Amino acid sequence: MTDFEPPVAGVKDLPRSIEPPRDLWPGVSRRIHWRLRLLVGAGGLAAAASLLFVLTPRAPLVPTTVIHGHPVISRSGVITNDASSARLELSIGSVEVGPGSDFRVVSITPGEQRFELRRGGISAQVLAPPRVFVVETPATVATDLGCAYVLQVDSLGNGLLRVTAGQVELVTGGRRAIVPAGAVASIRKGFGPGSPRREDASRKLTEALDAIDFGSREPAAVDSALSAARVDDALSLWHLLSRVNPVEAGRVYDRLAVLVPPPVGVTRDGVLSGSREMLDLWWNYLPWTGYRKP
Amino acid sequence: MRAGDEAAFHALYRAEVGRVYALCLRLTGNRRDAEERTQDVFVQAWRRLSTFRGESAVSTWLHRLTVNLVLTERRSTRRREQRVMPVESLETVEKPGAAGREPSVPGVDLERAMARLPDGAREVFVLHDIEGYTHEEIGAVCGIAEGTSKAQLFRARRLLREMLER
Repeated sequence: MTDFEPPVAGVKDLPRSIEPPRDLWPGVSRRIHWRLRLLVGAGGLAAAASLLFVLTPRAPLVPTTVIHGHPVISRSGVITNDASSARLELSIGSVEVGPGSDFRVVSITPGEQRFELRRGGISAQVLAPPRVFVVETPATVATDLGCAYVLQVDSLGNGLLRVTAGQVELVTGGRRAIVPAGAVASIRKGFGPGSPRREDASRKLTEALDAIDFGSREPAAVDSALSAARVDDALSLWHLLSRVNPVEAGRVYDRLAVLVPPPVGVTRDGVLSGSREMLDLWWNYLPWTGYRKP
Repeated sequence: MRAGDEAAFHALYRAEVGRVYALCLRLTGNRRDAEERTQDVFVQAWRRLSTFRGESAVSTWLHRLTVNLVLTERRSTRRREQRVMPVESLETVEKPGAAGREPSVPGVDLERAMARLPDGAREVFVLHDIEGYTHEEIGAVCGIAEGTSKAQLFRARRLLREMLER
């Protein structure tokens, strides 16, 4: 019978994956834990005693205080619900863990303090040399370069980084973003960090950057970004240099060179061939990067 | 991944949730049901993780779990509510985007049209034309005869084509 009704056009082009419109992990996690508790209840006295020993509160690895509500504070981290929050007092600063968060200690060593933000938000204030304070999230790794910042993610890893002092580096695979004070960067599961932008960047620029970083990368998006960029948006164009194809990179270079002329030692050919030294040198001359030379 | 390793399970969730949700959405035709079934799938997966023997890819195992769970839930809901929504003629099928609020996008229109198919026709269409099941396999998972599966597919394609051409 199906021979008389051919397949419907377009079926083969349907996406195999569709992101849910909301974060479903909290519901899954809640039910998993509920089942675990039920299992424990049926497990008998011996198992319960063993579990009790395991769950017996011990001093957390990092001194932690309650800001409000009743967060779950354990040796390995802090879990807050919608009505609680807590503060971790680090030797190099402090971290406020906001409501609805799961923040874990990964390792504390003399050279590095590494944490994991599984979901929720943190506000970090760090007074330490660069690369000592590191936060892993489901979609990227945020490395402190001497700063204060707010990081918000859902359990999939989609989120936003807002830097208020210093700079933060975001790295996912081969994609890297440097986010200076006054800038924000979106983070997307499967992509990593987007190109940082000033908080007051225009909507046109923001949408163009999202299209380039997380979308179809159509040439029109590059056109839109170039026309919307101001001098203050130079940091966004600087990131685009390594995110677009070589032809578009040339156009980005030309626009960036108009906004912020490249310093001596930086050439068009060098930048377009991916010279890290030249890119880093130019970065130091961009407005708002925090390291502008006199 | 060992049973009880929540961090590893969360990583599995992150990697697979899009595919599981897409399958649930297409099989149920309803966003809210799809969200609930997606959560059900991962809760079931967590419970059954110890029975996963690694003979197939985790994604394949999750796919089978999703299909079984959605269809089982559908059957029990039918029994519970005895609710039938026959769509015998196109007059009862709402035209996709009839309200004219959203632009016509081929893939989106097709998804909407699928959501408006009768339950049985939609399930067979999704499993056969999108997921690549044979009628024999569909008969086994849906508990219907092969001939019924073919008839439902014929009906689904005809309804979809008419909805999309309107």
